Amino acid sequence: MASFDKKPYFAALKVHLKNSWMFVVFFVGFFLFWEYSIQWFDIPRYILTPPSLIVEKGAADLERLLYYTYVTGFETLLGFVIAIVFALPLGLAIAFSSVLKRTLYPFLVCIEMVPKIAFAPLFISWLGFGLLPKVIIVFLVCFFPIVLNAILAFNSLSEELTLFSRSTGGGAWRTFLKIRLPAALPQCFVGFKYAAINATVGAAIAEFIGSDEGLGFYIQIVTGNMRPDLAFAGIFFLTLIGLCLFGIVTIAERLMIPWHISVRRG
Amino acid sequence: MSHQIEFHGVKKVFGEGADAVHAFGPVDLTIHQGEFVSLLGPSGCGKSTLMLMTSGLLEPTEGQVVIGGKPVNGPQTDVGIMFQDNTLVPWRTVRGNIELQLEMRGLSTAEYSERVDQMLAAVHMEEFSDRHPYELSGGMQQRAAFCQAMVHTPGTMLLDEPLGKLDAMTRERIRSDLQTLWMQQRPTVIFVTHSIEEAFQLSTKVAVITPRPGCIERIIDVDLPFPRDFEVKSSPEFSAHVREAQEIFRSYGVI
Ligand SMILES: Nc1ncnc2c1ncn2[C@@H]1O[C@H](COP(=O)(O)OP(=O)(O)OP(=O)(O)O)[C@@H](O)[C@H]1O
Ligand SMILES: [Mg+2]
Repeated sequence: MASFDKKPYFAALKVHLKNSWMFVVFFVGFFLFWEYSIQWFDIPRYILTPPSLIVEKGAADLERLLYYTYVTGFETLLGFVIAIVFALPLGLAIAFSSVLKRTLYPFLVCIEMVPKIAFAPLFISWLGFGLLPKVIIVFLVCFFPIVLNAILAFNSLSEELTLFSRSTGGGAWRTFLKIRLPAALPQCFVGFKYAAINATVGAAIAEFIGSDEGLGFYIQIVTGNMRPDLAFAGIFFLTLIGLCLFGIVTIAERLMIPWHISVRRG
Repeated sequence: MSHQIEFHGVKKVFGEGADAVHAFGPVDLTIHQGEFVSLLGPSGCGKSTLMLMTSGLLEPTEGQVVIGGKPVNGPQTDVGIMFQDNTLVPWRTVRGNIELQLEMRGLSTAEYSERVDQMLAAVHMEEFSDRHPYELSGGMQQRAAFCQAMVHTPGTMLLDEPLGKLDAMTRERIRSDLQTLWMQQRPTVIFVTHSIEEAFQLSTKVAVITPRPGCIERIIDVDLPFPRDFEVKSSPEFSAHVREAQEIFRSYGVI
């Protein structure tokens, strides 16, 4: 695996900067525009606040924000991990069982059409304000992309490799470990990434509906108090949770499938 | 164990009813132990289909393949198959890919370590043993795939256009390497190719296959001495063989 990262660190950083300076300029420009457009266009403070004020007011309320980030982050991570734990084996089972493929698979595809978020009020009413309903909503949001991508992943081994493994007489288990599983990983990661991006949506909405802590709860309360500055601070930390989760998945992807084209190009 | 391969009325039809594609046969053919037989024919005539049926990976619609006196009823493990598209996996190095063949068969990679080195040297790939397939050119990938297909020293070799992606010069070199290898070990070889010259340079027998549905039009015995170097290839006998095949293809409008 040594040949993947031969570039010295600084050279790599230089290339990185060279490729991304335009993005950095755009990004900084965007926030500058936001900052000054509020003065230029006379936007009232209770509608939109400049980034500088968001930072200032957010910092003043940092303790609460950090605690709620922990609360929401924990719900998100737990739901995401449980989704992986259940979805991967189920995806495997469906991929390799013709009975499940004709029964459970079409059922899952139908359920996938249902917006999972719509269940949130029901779960809150059944299970109350605690951790459990939030984890269940995150789980539901994450579960389907992981299952469906896993099924796709384990079913799309190339014809040539299928013939190759049969010609060796290696048996189902060896074929799975040495060929099917590694070949399926890239498509599985597509599902993990999609789930990671959407996980915080599930957590935030569950908290909007019924909760007495967490970032979703916070955003709702401060918006009610005409404090868009604090709402943006809450959104910032919610984004941070999403970014961290996505980052973890991306790092895992780099470690597990460094040979894959998406990793090599990225 | 004998590696004689017999085809008894082997025929393959894909699909059923109105959509059925009659891909190949019926064909009767016997390939004796240690022979080098080329299947020479245009694209889509069923060469790969015949390969798969020989290795037991595809069931004939009619007829039977017999190897070493035993009817083929499932995948044959004592053959080495080089598929038309290479079977290198992207997550392993060249060496790892060759070892994949051994691991899948439950053979010890340590015991075969020297053999892997020899094979890599034979195809001039020693320096690339730790590279991944995407770091190789198409021709290099094909050479690695050859090692992968043959590392377990099979008595029968099925090669589906193994030299297809190589440039003319490398192709010429690998051809003579392949010939040397065959002369030393005398495995039974079925070799698929589009190249008339290549077929006659390498083979003891050339089976000329006509377009769909693929049938063996003629089997040409090539009674020329080995190794077939430049000298032999410029002989009048060699040219006569080449012309014979060309005439068959011309009469079918292929060339
Ligand atoms: N799995 C399949 N299902 C349906 N038709 C097939 C299948 N495999 C091959 N065929 C058909 O059988 C015929 C022979 O195919 P085959 O791949 O054996 O040709 P070939 O001689 O190897 O050609 P080439 O030189 O281009 O590789 C073709 O017409 C093809 O369309
Ligand atoms: Mg073919």
